[in-house]
Amino acid sequence: MVDWSRQITLDDVVVGAEIPEISMPITLQRLVMEAGSNRDLSLIHHNREVAQSTGGADAYMNTFFIIGLFERMLREWMGTGGRLKKIGSLQMKSFNVVGDVVYCRGKVTGKQDDGTVNLDIRMENEERVTVTALAVVSLPLHMTA
Amino acid sequence: MGAKPGWGKWGTWEETESYLGKVIGVAEGADAVEQGTIRRWMESKEFDCPIHLDDAAARAAGYKGVTAPDNMIFTYGLPAYWQSGDPHEQPGAEPRQIPIPVIFDVPAPCNLSFASNIDIEYFAPMYLGDRITRTSRLVSIKRKTLRVGDGAFLRQEDTYTNQHDEVVAIVNLDIFRFVAPDDKED
Repeated sequence: MVDWSRQITLDDVVVGAEIPEISMPITLQRLVMEAGSNRDLSLIHHNREVAQSTGGADAYMNTFFIIGLFERMLREWMGTGGRLKKIGSLQMKSFNVVGDVVYCRGKVTGKQDDGTVNLDIRMENEERVTVTALAVVSLPLHMTA
Repeated sequence: MGAKPGWGKWGTWEETESYLGKVIGVAEGADAVEQGTIRRWMESKEFDCPIHLDDAAARAAGYKGVTAPDNMIFTYGLPAYWQSGDPHEQPGAEPRQIPIPVIFDVPAPCNLSFASNIDIEYFAPMYLGDRITRTSRLVSIKRKTLRVGDGAFLRQEDTYTNQHDEVVAIVNLDIFRFVAPDDKED
């Protein structure tokens, strides 16, 4: 359970530190629920045979889902006072398929005096890194009363 | 020259080049930003941030009201899969895929593709009632031969705007379109 009353500021950020991870088991029901909600109805994301014809072991997560989970991880860390500025250089290394448990993880790589914080973010399963990206967020400089 | 069936409009590299720098697609989002679609998007991710669900919490965080998650831009920029006036689907019809103009509308001598890189920059929040438009341009073509086949990296720049013509987000999507060596036919 996330405590949304908590707010980190730039002062709390340590370069080199890992941020709290999130995880999710990928089931076909989850992929169907996600396709319905994000509207990417491409068959590779909910049809095993079609997914296998493109090299996946099973139906696999779509890009909107992956980026959405990254947003959840970043939001849970930066709190309601943070702002998402950029997710870039997002590269798919391998499929995230039904049966996987995926983990979103991130590491702070830099911070600037204006509140900008840079992170390396990634998705992993039990065996490998499946997606990598860079993120830029903006945090409050100080706590306000 | 032809190729085995696949995704994407077939054509020559000269035809591909003729699209460079041009608008290759404009999509009106099928749905306005609204609470039900936000809730369902969050439900599937087990996400419960109150700025997306509660007006008071959003205002306390500096917003004008409930704001959609930033990455719902993709969802709110998608056109309808069917709308009034479209023909009804017939048995055996090809399933509808997500409409990505650089794959489906720009001709190229390719029948396969994969996304290689995505960059997203967020400029403005989306509020309840907003309507999103996606304008897609082909901004670069780089011919390349990879292990999977001959093709090119095509960069599609999608500018998402709201009903006030305010830029909400800009997405750059790199797609490698190619034809596998075994698929080439003379």
